[in-house]
Amino acid sequence: MSAARCPATFFLGLALTIILAQAASAKSITIDDSGTMALSPSVSMRWRTATPSRSGGGNSMIGSMSVRVHINVAPWLKHSGRIYLSLPAQQPGPMGLTWTTQGRFLPGQVQSGNRVLVYSGPITTPFMEDTLTFQFTLDGALMRRAVPVSYHFEMDED
Amino acid sequence: MHARFGRSRLRRALLGVVFLGAGSSLAHAYTVTLDPASPQTIYLQVGVGSFTADYCGGTTYPPTHATPNCGPSFGGGTPEKNTTINTVSVTLATGSVGNKTAQAMTTNSTAANSFLDGYAFCNVPSQLYIGGFFRTAGGTTAAATVTATVPASLTSTTGTTIPFSQIQWTTSGNGDADAEPFTEGAFVSGGVQTVGTVASNSWAESCWTFSYLNTVVPAAGTYTGAVLYTMSAP
Repeated sequence: MSAARCPATFFLGLALTIILAQAASAKSITIDDSGTMALSPSVSMRWRTATPSRSGGGNSMIGSMSVRVHINVAPWLKHSGRIYLSLPAQQPGPMGLTWTTQGRFLPGQVQSGNRVLVYSGPITTPFMEDTLTFQFTLDGALMRRAVPVSYHFEMDED
Repeated sequence: MHARFGRSRLRRALLGVVFLGAGSSLAHAYTVTLDPASPQTIYLQVGVGSFTADYCGGTTYPPTHATPNCGPSFGGGTPEKNTTINTVSVTLATGSVGNKTAQAMTTNSTAANSFLDGYAFCNVPSQLYIGGFFRTAGGTTAAATVTATVPASLTSTTGTTIPFSQIQWTTSGNGDADAEPFTEGAFVSGGVQTVGTVASNSWAESCWTFSYLNTVVPAAGTYTGAVLYTMSAP
Protein backbone atom coordinates (compact mmCIF):
# COMPACT_ATOMS: atom_id res chain seq x y z
CA MET A 1 0.00 0.00 0.00
CA SER A 2 2.69 2.32 0.96
CA ALA A 3 4.74 1.40 -2.06
CA ALA A 4 1.75 2.08 -4.30
CA ARG A 5 1.10 5.54 -2.87
CA CYS A 6 4.60 6.85 -3.13
CA PRO A 7 4.66 7.16 -6.93
CA ALA A 8 1.29 8.92 -6.87
CA THR A 9 2.56 11.46 -4.39
CA PHE A 10 5.62 12.01 -6.47
CA PHE A 11 3.62 12.65 -9.64
CA LEU A 12 1.17 14.90 -7.84
CA GLY A 13 4.03 16.91 -6.45
CA LEU A 14 5.63 17.17 -9.85
CA ALA A 15 2.38 18.26 -11.45
CA LEU A 16 1.89 20.97 -8.86
CA THR A 17 5.41 22.19 -9.41
CA ILE A 18 4.85 22.50 -13.12
CA ILE A 19 1.57 24.31 -12.66
CA LEU A 20 3.12 26.75 -10.21
CA ALA A 21 6.01 27.42 -12.56
CA GLN A 22 3.63 28.12 -15.41
CA ALA A 23 1.56 30.43 -13.28
CA ALA A 24 4.65 32.42 -12.27
CA SER A 25 5.93 32.86 -15.82
CA ALA A 26 2.45 33.67 -17.11
CA LYS A 27 2.25 36.81 -14.95
CA SER A 28 4.43 38.73 -17.38
CA ILE A 29 2.72 38.90 -20.75
CA THR A 30 3.80 40.67 -23.88
CA ILE A 31 1.21 43.25 -24.89
CA ASP A 32 -0.19 43.51 -28.38
CA ASP A 33 1.28 46.74 -29.80
CA SER A 34 0.28 46.16 -33.40
CA GLY A 35 -1.41 49.58 -33.44
CA THR A 36 1.86 51.37 -32.73
CA MET A 37 3.18 53.65 -35.46
CA ALA A 38 6.63 55.17 -35.88
CA LEU A 39 6.53 58.79 -37.00
CA SER A 40 9.67 58.31 -39.09
CA PRO A 41 10.72 55.23 -41.07
CA SER A 42 14.11 54.81 -39.41
CA VAL A 43 16.43 56.26 -36.82
CA SER A 44 19.23 58.28 -38.34
CA MET A 45 22.25 57.58 -36.14
CA ARG A 46 24.89 60.28 -35.74
CA TRP A 47 28.00 60.70 -33.64
CA ARG A 48 27.27 61.84 -30.10
CA THR A 49 30.38 64.00 -30.37
CA ALA A 50 31.49 65.23 -33.76
CA THR A 51 35.13 65.08 -32.73
CA PRO A 52 36.92 62.10 -31.21
CA SER A 53 39.24 62.39 -28.23
CA ARG A 54 43.02 61.99 -28.34
CA SER A 55 42.72 58.56 -26.73
CA GLY A 56 40.17 57.40 -29.27
CA GLY A 57 37.23 57.41 -26.83
CA GLY A 58 33.87 59.07 -27.22
CA ASN A 59 32.60 56.97 -30.08
CA SER A 60 28.96 56.66 -29.16
CA MET A 61 26.31 57.15 -31.79
CA ILE A 62 22.86 58.44 -30.96
CA GLY A 63 19.61 58.71 -32.85
CA SER A 64 16.10 59.84 -32.01
CA MET A 65 12.65 59.05 -33.24
CA SER A 66 9.06 59.49 -32.13
CA VAL A 67 6.61 56.63 -31.89
CA ARG A 68 2.87 56.79 -31.37
CA VAL A 69 2.46 53.89 -28.99
CA HIS A 70 -0.90 52.16 -29.10
CA ILE A 71 -1.15 49.03 -26.98
CA ASN A 72 -4.08 46.71 -26.50
CA VAL A 73 -4.70 46.22 -22.79
CA ALA A 74 -8.28 44.99 -23.19
CA PRO A 75 -7.45 41.61 -21.60
CA TRP A 76 -6.67 43.43 -18.35
CA LEU A 77 -9.57 45.86 -18.41
CA LYS A 78 -10.88 46.69 -14.93
CA HIS A 79 -7.82 45.13 -13.36
CA SER A 80 -4.63 46.69 -12.08
CA GLY A 81 -1.31 45.99 -13.66
CA ARG A 82 2.23 47.14 -14.26
CA ILE A 83 3.43 47.82 -17.78
CA TYR A 84 7.11 47.60 -18.63
CA LEU A 85 9.06 48.64 -21.68
CA SER A 86 11.45 45.82 -22.47
CA LEU A 87 14.53 46.13 -24.66
CA PRO A 88 15.85 42.60 -25.18
CA ALA A 89 19.55 41.90 -25.61
CA GLN A 90 20.04 41.72 -29.36
CA GLN A 91 22.33 42.46 -32.24
CA PRO A 92 24.38 44.44 -32.99
CA GLY A 93 25.29 44.57 -29.26
CA PRO A 94 24.75 46.50 -26.05
CA MET A 95 22.65 49.62 -26.44
CA GLY A 96 20.83 52.14 -24.34
CA LEU A 97 17.40 53.64 -24.80
CA THR A 98 15.99 56.73 -23.15
CA TRP A 99 12.56 58.17 -23.80
CA THR A 100 10.27 60.99 -22.94
CA THR A 101 6.50 60.79 -22.99
CA GLN A 102 3.47 63.02 -23.10
CA GLY A 103 2.26 61.84 -19.72
CA ARG A 104 0.33 58.62 -20.19
CA PHE A 105 3.46 56.56 -19.60
CA LEU A 106 6.49 57.28 -17.46
CA PRO A 107 9.70 58.54 -19.05
CA GLY A 108 12.78 56.47 -18.43
CA GLN A 109 15.85 54.73 -19.68
CA VAL A 110 16.89 51.13 -20.11
CA GLN A 111 19.91 49.13 -21.17
CA SER A 112 19.41 46.25 -23.54
CA GLY A 113 18.58 43.04 -21.73
CA ASN A 114 16.41 44.85 -19.20
CA ARG A 115 12.97 46.35 -18.77
CA VAL A 116 11.67 49.46 -17.01
CA LEU A 117 8.28 50.32 -15.55
CA VAL A 118 6.25 52.78 -17.63
CA TYR A 119 2.82 52.41 -16.02
CA SER A 120 1.37 51.08 -12.79
CA GLY A 121 -2.29 51.25 -11.85
CA PRO A 122 -5.77 50.36 -12.94
CA ILE A 123 -6.49 49.49 -16.56
CA THR A 124 -9.56 51.56 -17.35
CA THR A 125 -9.56 51.59 -21.14
CA PRO A 126 -9.05 48.79 -23.68
CA PHE A 127 -6.21 50.69 -25.35
CA MET A 128 -3.50 52.93 -23.99
CA GLU A 129 -1.78 55.54 -26.14
CA ASP A 130 1.08 57.96 -25.81
CA THR A 131 3.72 59.51 -28.04
CA LEU A 132 7.20 58.53 -26.96
CA THR A 133 10.40 60.15 -28.18
CA PHE A 134 13.12 57.55 -28.14
CA GLN A 135 16.86 58.12 -28.17
CA PHE A 136 19.01 55.09 -28.91
CA THR A 137 22.69 55.06 -27.94
CA LEU A 138 25.26 52.50 -28.96
CA ASP A 139 28.91 52.16 -29.81
CA GLY A 140 29.68 53.39 -33.29
CA ALA A 141 31.97 50.39 -33.73
CA LEU A 142 28.85 48.24 -33.88
CA MET A 143 27.19 50.29 -36.61
CA ARG A 144 28.54 48.73 -39.77
CA ARG A 145 25.19 48.97 -41.49
CA ALA A 146 21.54 49.65 -40.78
CA VAL A 147 20.28 47.28 -38.10
CA PRO A 148 16.78 46.38 -36.88
CA VAL A 149 16.15 46.80 -33.17
CA SER A 150 13.09 45.46 -31.36
CA TYR A 151 11.40 46.36 -28.13
CA HIS A 152 8.05 45.48 -26.62
CA PHE A 153 5.72 46.20 -23.74
CA GLU A 154 4.99 43.66 -21.04
CA MET A 155 2.14 43.46 -18.54
CA ASP A 156 2.58 42.16 -15.02
CA GLU A 157 -0.81 41.55 -13.47
CA ASP A 158 -1.30 42.54 -9.84
CA MET B 1 -12.78 7.43 -45.18
CA HIS B 2 -14.17 8.86 -42.03
CA ALA B 3 -10.82 8.51 -40.31
CA ARG B 4 -8.95 10.33 -43.13
CA PHE B 5 -11.42 13.20 -42.98
CA GLY B 6 -10.78 13.45 -39.30
CA ARG B 7 -7.01 13.71 -39.77
CA SER B 8 -7.48 16.37 -42.40
CA ARG B 9 -9.51 18.51 -40.05
CA LEU B 10 -6.97 18.02 -37.33
CA ARG B 11 -4.17 19.14 -39.64
CA ARG B 12 -6.07 22.31 -40.55
CA ALA B 13 -6.67 23.03 -36.91
CA LEU B 14 -2.98 22.65 -36.10
CA LEU B 15 -1.99 24.87 -39.00
CA GLY B 16 -4.41 27.46 -37.75
CA VAL B 17 -2.76 27.45 -34.36
CA VAL B 18 0.67 27.83 -35.90
CA PHE B 19 -0.36 30.77 -38.06
CA LEU B 20 -2.13 32.50 -35.20
CA GLY B 21 0.96 32.09 -33.10
CA ALA B 22 3.17 33.62 -35.77
CA GLY B 23 0.85 36.59 -36.29
CA SER B 24 0.62 37.17 -32.61
CA SER B 25 4.39 37.15 -32.27
CA LEU B 26 4.81 39.78 -34.98
CA ALA B 27 2.29 42.06 -33.31
CA HIS B 28 4.02 41.90 -29.94
CA ALA B 29 7.42 43.37 -30.75
CA TYR B 30 8.02 46.68 -32.43
CA THR B 31 11.05 46.92 -34.66
CA VAL B 32 12.83 50.09 -35.71
CA THR B 33 15.83 50.43 -37.98
CA LEU B 34 18.94 52.20 -36.72
CA ASP B 35 20.69 53.65 -39.73
CA PRO B 36 24.23 55.13 -39.58
CA ALA B 37 23.24 57.80 -42.06
CA SER B 38 26.29 60.08 -42.03
CA PRO B 39 28.96 58.36 -40.00
CA GLN B 40 32.05 59.64 -41.82
CA THR B 41 33.69 62.93 -41.01
CA ILE B 42 37.15 64.18 -41.90
CA TYR B 43 39.11 67.21 -40.68
CA LEU B 44 42.66 68.32 -41.41
CA GLN B 45 44.35 71.47 -40.17
CA VAL B 46 47.83 72.58 -41.25
CA GLY B 47 48.69 75.91 -39.67
CA VAL B 48 45.63 77.86 -38.68
CA GLY B 49 42.20 76.26 -38.74
CA SER B 50 38.76 77.22 -37.57
CA PHE B 51 36.43 76.03 -34.87
CA THR B 52 33.56 78.16 -33.65
CA ALA B 53 35.06 77.60 -30.17
CA ASP B 54 37.26 74.96 -28.63
CA TYR B 55 35.39 71.74 -29.07
CA CYS B 56 35.20 71.02 -25.37
CA GLY B 57 34.07 74.53 -24.53
CA GLY B 58 35.68 77.72 -23.36
CA THR B 59 38.83 79.40 -24.55
CA THR B 60 41.21 78.38 -21.79
CA TYR B 61 42.83 75.17 -20.69
CA PRO B 62 41.70 72.92 -19.03
CA PRO B 63 38.48 72.69 -20.98
CA THR B 64 35.01 73.08 -19.58
CA HIS B 65 34.24 69.46 -20.38
CA ALA B 66 36.09 66.27 -21.14
CA THR B 67 35.09 64.17 -24.10
CA PRO B 68 32.55 62.78 -24.73
CA ASN B 69 30.68 65.67 -23.10
CA CYS B 70 31.88 68.16 -25.67
CA GLY B 71 30.47 69.88 -28.71
CA PRO B 72 27.65 72.35 -29.17
CA SER B 73 25.38 70.64 -26.65
CA PHE B 74 27.89 71.47 -23.93
CA GLY B 75 28.93 74.92 -25.12
CA GLY B 76 31.70 73.70 -27.39
CA GLY B 77 32.44 74.59 -30.97
CA THR B 78 32.27 72.89 -34.33
CA PRO B 79 34.85 72.75 -37.12
CA GLU B 80 34.75 75.28 -39.92
CA LYS B 81 36.47 75.69 -43.26
CA ASN B 82 39.56 77.88 -43.31
CA THR B 83 41.24 78.73 -46.60
CA THR B 84 44.32 80.43 -45.14
CA ILE B 85 47.66 79.38 -46.60
CA ASN B 86 50.40 79.78 -44.03
CA THR B 87 54.05 80.28 -44.83
CA VAL B 88 57.22 78.91 -43.32
CA SER B 89 60.27 81.00 -44.14
CA VAL B 90 63.84 81.92 -43.36
CA THR B 91 66.07 84.81 -44.38
CA LEU B 92 69.78 84.08 -44.80
CA ALA B 93 72.53 86.61 -44.32
CA THR B 94 74.81 86.90 -47.33
CA GLY B 95 77.75 85.40 -45.51
CA SER B 96 75.91 82.30 -44.39
CA VAL B 97 74.48 81.14 -47.72
CA GLY B 98 75.56 77.61 -48.47
CA ASN B 99 77.65 77.18 -45.32
CA LYS B 100 75.97 73.82 -44.54
CA THR B 101 74.63 75.08 -41.24
CA ALA B 102 70.91 74.38 -41.06
CA GLN B 103 68.83 77.49 -40.60
CA ALA B 104 65.71 77.42 -38.42
CA MET B 105 62.54 78.48 -40.20
CA THR B 106 59.54 80.23 -38.68
CA THR B 107 55.90 80.33 -39.58
CA ASN B 108 53.30 83.06 -39.82
CA SER B 109 50.75 80.61 -38.40
CA THR B 110 49.30 81.67 -35.07
CA ALA B 111 47.90 78.22 -34.29
CA ALA B 112 49.42 77.19 -30.98
CA ASN B 113 46.43 75.73 -29.15
CA SER B 114 44.59 72.54 -29.96
CA PHE B 115 41.00 73.16 -30.96
CA LEU B 116 40.07 69.97 -29.14
CA ASP B 117 40.51 71.38 -25.67
CA GLY B 118 42.50 74.60 -25.91
CA TYR B 119 45.75 73.02 -24.76
CA ALA B 120 48.83 75.06 -25.80
CA PHE B 121 50.38 72.28 -27.86
CA CYS B 122 52.70 74.12 -30.25
CA ASN B 123 55.09 77.05 -29.89
CA VAL B 124 54.73 79.73 -32.50
CA PRO B 125 56.37 81.03 -34.57
CA SER B 126 58.94 78.24 -34.45
CA GLN B 127 56.40 75.42 -34.91
CA LEU B 128 53.62 74.68 -37.36
CA TYR B 129 50.52 72.93 -36.02
CA ILE B 130 49.21 69.95 -37.97
CA GLY B 131 46.24 67.93 -36.74
CA GLY B 132 43.00 66.29 -37.65
CA PHE B 133 40.74 63.30 -37.28
CA PHE B 134 38.43 61.07 -39.22
CA ARG B 135 35.29 59.51 -37.96
CA THR B 136 34.06 56.19 -39.26
CA ALA B 137 31.43 53.78 -37.97
CA GLY B 138 31.69 50.02 -37.82
CA GLY B 139 34.86 49.62 -35.79
CA THR B 140 38.49 50.45 -36.17
CA THR B 141 39.62 50.75 -39.74
CA ALA B 142 42.94 51.36 -41.40
CA ALA B 143 44.39 54.76 -40.57
CA ALA B 144 43.87 57.76 -42.77
CA THR B 145 47.02 58.99 -44.44
CA VAL B 146 48.22 62.53 -44.89
CA THR B 147 50.38 63.21 -47.90
CA ALA B 148 52.34 66.18 -49.13
CA THR B 149 52.38 67.01 -52.81
CA VAL B 150 55.71 68.72 -53.31
CA PRO B 151 57.03 70.61 -56.35
CA ALA B 152 60.54 69.87 -57.51
CA SER B 153 61.91 73.16 -56.29
CA LEU B 154 61.35 76.57 -54.82
CA THR B 155 61.57 79.20 -57.52
CA SER B 156 62.71 82.80 -57.53
CA THR B 157 61.21 85.61 -59.59
CA THR B 158 64.09 85.28 -62.03
CA GLY B 159 63.56 81.54 -62.48
CA THR B 160 66.45 80.21 -60.45
CA THR B 161 65.63 77.33 -58.12
CA ILE B 162 66.38 75.60 -54.83
CA PRO B 163 65.52 71.90 -54.51
CA PHE B 164 62.64 71.30 -52.09
CA SER B 165 64.77 68.61 -50.48
CA GLN B 166 66.68 71.46 -48.81
CA ILE B 167 63.82 71.69 -46.30
CA GLN B 168 63.37 69.21 -43.44
CA TRP B 169 61.39 69.14 -40.24
CA THR B 170 61.29 67.57 -36.79
CA THR B 171 58.13 66.75 -34.87
CA SER B 172 57.01 67.10 -31.26
CA GLY B 173 54.27 68.55 -29.08
CA ASN B 174 54.22 70.17 -25.66
CA GLY B 175 53.75 67.51 -22.99
CA ASP B 176 53.68 64.79 -25.62
CA ALA B 177 55.73 61.71 -24.76
CA ASP B 178 54.10 59.41 -27.31
CA ALA B 179 55.15 58.81 -30.88
CA GLU B 180 53.93 61.62 -33.09
CA PRO B 181 51.26 60.82 -35.67
CA PHE B 182 52.88 63.29 -38.06
CA THR B 183 56.46 62.17 -38.42
CA GLU B 184 59.69 64.03 -39.03
CA GLY B 185 61.16 64.10 -42.50
CA ALA B 186 62.49 66.05 -45.42
CA PHE B 187 60.68 67.05 -48.56
CA VAL B 188 61.21 65.11 -51.75
CA SER B 189 62.12 67.24 -54.72
CA GLY B 190 58.96 66.71 -56.69
CA GLY B 191 56.44 64.04 -55.77
CA VAL B 192 53.89 62.89 -53.26
CA GLN B 193 55.10 61.69 -49.88
CA THR B 194 53.32 60.42 -46.79
CA VAL B 195 53.86 62.67 -43.79
CA GLY B 196 51.55 61.14 -41.21
CA THR B 197 48.75 58.78 -40.32
CA VAL B 198 45.58 59.36 -38.38
CA ALA B 199 43.99 56.41 -36.57
CA SER B 200 40.25 56.12 -37.00
CA ASN B 201 38.16 57.93 -34.41
CA SER B 202 41.13 59.58 -32.73
CA TRP B 203 42.29 63.17 -32.61
CA ALA B 204 45.88 63.34 -33.95
CA GLU B 205 48.16 66.38 -33.77
CA SER B 206 51.83 67.31 -33.93
CA CYS B 207 54.00 70.39 -34.15
CA TRP B 208 56.55 70.62 -36.93
CA THR B 209 59.78 72.58 -36.67
CA PHE B 210 61.19 73.33 -40.11
CA SER B 211 64.75 74.05 -41.08
CA TYR B 212 66.61 74.91 -44.26
CA LEU B 213 69.60 72.61 -44.84
CA ASN B 214 71.62 75.34 -46.54
CA THR B 215 73.91 73.05 -48.51
CA VAL B 216 73.49 74.77 -51.88
CA VAL B 217 74.48 78.23 -53.10
CA PRO B 218 71.66 79.71 -55.10
CA ALA B 219 71.55 83.18 -56.61
CA ALA B 220 70.28 85.93 -54.35
CA GLY B 221 66.53 86.29 -54.39
CA THR B 222 63.25 85.27 -52.82
CA TYR B 223 62.38 81.65 -53.44
CA THR B 224 58.86 80.32 -52.94
CA GLY B 225 57.01 77.08 -53.39
CA ALA B 226 53.74 75.64 -52.19
CA VAL B 227 53.14 72.22 -50.69
CA LEU B 228 49.66 70.76 -50.74
CA TYR B 229 48.63 68.50 -47.82
CA THR B 230 45.91 65.94 -48.42
CA MET B 231 44.20 63.62 -45.98
CA SER B 232 42.79 60.39 -47.40
CA ALA B 233 40.54 58.12 -45.32
CA PRO B 234 39.86 54.49 -46.24
